[in-house]
Amino acid sequence: MAHFLRTYGTLLGMVLLVGFFWISLPDTFMTARNWLNISQQVSMLAVVAAVMTVVMVMGDFDLSVGSMASLAGVVAAVMFVQGFGIAAGVAAALAVGLLGGLVNGLLVSLIGILPFVATLATLTMYSGLAFVISGGKTIFGRDIPQGFADFARGGIALGGDKPLVLPYLTLTALAVVALVWLLLEQTSYGRRLYAIGGNMEAARLAGVRVTWLRLTAFGFTGVGAAVAGLMYAARVASANPTQGAGLMLSAIAAVFLGMTMAENGQPRVLASLAGVVVLGVMDNGLTQMQVDSYVREVLVGLIILLAVSISALGRRAVTGR
Amino acid sequence: MALQFTRRAAIMAAGFAALSASMAVAQGEKVALITPYLAQPGTQFYVEAFQARAAELGWEVNVIDTAGDVAAVIARMEDVTTQGVSAIVINVDPAQVGAGLAAAAAANIPVIGMDAGTDPLVRANVTSNGYAMAAETAVYVANRIAGAGNVVMFTFDAFPPVQVRGVVADAVFANFPDIKVLDRITPNVDDGGIADSRAKMEAILAANPEPGSIKAVWAAWDQPALGALQAIEAAGRGGEGIVITGIDANPQARDAIAAGGNFEASVAQDFAGIGRTTADTVARVLAGEVLRQNVVYVPTVLITAANVKDAK
Repeated sequence: MAHFLRTYGTLLGMVLLVGFFWISLPDTFMTARNWLNISQQVSMLAVVAAVMTVVMVMGDFDLSVGSMASLAGVVAAVMFVQGFGIAAGVAAALAVGLLGGLVNGLLVSLIGILPFVATLATLTMYSGLAFVISGGKTIFGRDIPQGFADFARGGIALGGDKPLVLPYLTLTALAVVALVWLLLEQTSYGRRLYAIGGNMEAARLAGVRVTWLRLTAFGFTGVGAAVAGLMYAARVASANPTQGAGLMLSAIAAVFLGMTMAENGQPRVLASLAGVVVLGVMDNGLTQMQVDSYVREVLVGLIILLAVSISALGRRAVTGR
Repeated sequence: MALQFTRRAAIMAAGFAALSASMAVAQGEKVALITPYLAQPGTQFYVEAFQARAAELGWEVNVIDTAGDVAAVIARMEDVTTQGVSAIVINVDPAQVGAGLAAAAAANIPVIGMDAGTDPLVRANVTSNGYAMAAETAVYVANRIAGAGNVVMFTFDAFPPVQVRGVVADAVFANFPDIKVLDRITPNVDDGGIADSRAKMEAILAANPEPGSIKAVWAAWDQPALGALQAIEAAGRGGEGIVITGIDANPQARDAIAAGGNFEASVAQDFAGIGRTTADTVARVLAGEVLRQNVVYVPTVLITAANVKDAK
């Protein structure tokens, strides 16, 4: 029973949550349109949570993902202002993401600074750079190419009487999640990351190239944050030096939520995705139920605490402590 | 273990019960007001006035603050569209939430802007008239200096709402043959606009040392006016009767106007009026009226020493 609760408690909670909204909002919640909506709304968070999982697998954090997302959006927008095309802007933003991620990796793996401290410092730096590059202004309007903004509005038509659309943002997020899943679950690279998370010293002694792996994993997270920043910029058809700031805490929350439903409490990317969906469903359902936005935030925090507490209680029951 | 499970079920049940209780009983029209800027003082004035008027109209208002997150504004616009509200009010640049506007339009839900901006998918934007505010202070300056003398202008053409103010002041001053615009300055606003405006004004004062060589300073918003005031006072030229005007009537500007020095006038936007008028505009749209004007202006008030204590 305790084992069941520990493993499936969060899943059960998710089902209850969805059921609750389904009953409360019988006409609007459990519709394909609403779920496609939710999938698009959480797409940016899903990308950040997926790549956050990559570093959290090793027991590390990357606090700079939010400001990296902002910086990437601003870099692309500034490129657009300078007259470069969409491809060049996107490439520049991704390159900045890779570079920023590798800097994090360098600080953490080669210099040996605690990830919390190193990425807290780069959080400030990347955020500051976003302000420097943009001059503190929001870049929008004719400066943003139509094709770039249209990406976030478009999708693959699914038919139906009121035509449904599978949004490109959702597909992008699914692609990133699939890629991270392959990397973490299906390659020896991923298994080595889990080994580092299990016991870094043991992994090192077993011949795992810990320094190199941590460096590249942070690079991965940086690129992912930049992808999310580009998605965000396309969605709002503008770039602002603070717009990605909210992604970081939500992504960490999603990974933690996911950890409560994984065996051994390890971060798993599909579980992180489930955590993202919980957060997205809460926002969507509570908004439709007209729950005050501040009360909503309190409830989201409560749900996270509840899930983590149940997981901890379950573990205690198992170990008999 | 069973105990724990029961406890958890109880917690969940309590949570959901609290949730259900927090849902208002449905009555009248449902209107969603979505803003990323609720924490800003001006926004709170609009929102409170909107809520008060909406309560009179018997509406159920859902105020949603996304705490600076513009993508979340789009998400919440989609959510309330799914929910099927009667109307959506936004307080954000429509250019940034195009996807949300499209969702609302597809569901035939009208969107009204509250100091937002114009867009084909926004039925009307309720705001203050920047042209009129600039005309008020420019004419005040022209009249105070009897239509003759050198005027220093502080403008900021890169920001459209401020650019229109400059255009109107240009036209007013050009209409007086004896008014000469000595300089049209774009201050650096990175520090908030006061310090650099002060430095620029100090340079102009140094270049024009004769008393009476500068008759007035017209600023497109309050910060440069405050900077110019500091420069004039620091240069010991406060007694020359240089007339300074700003726009927005922020608290610092009101203090300066109340002090009775060179800073003589500014223009106050009626934030509460904007909120109230937004609600009335929503009511007109819900009543089926097709709005001819896509911008609804709420009158502003010229603030001088005569009314600074009474005007809100």
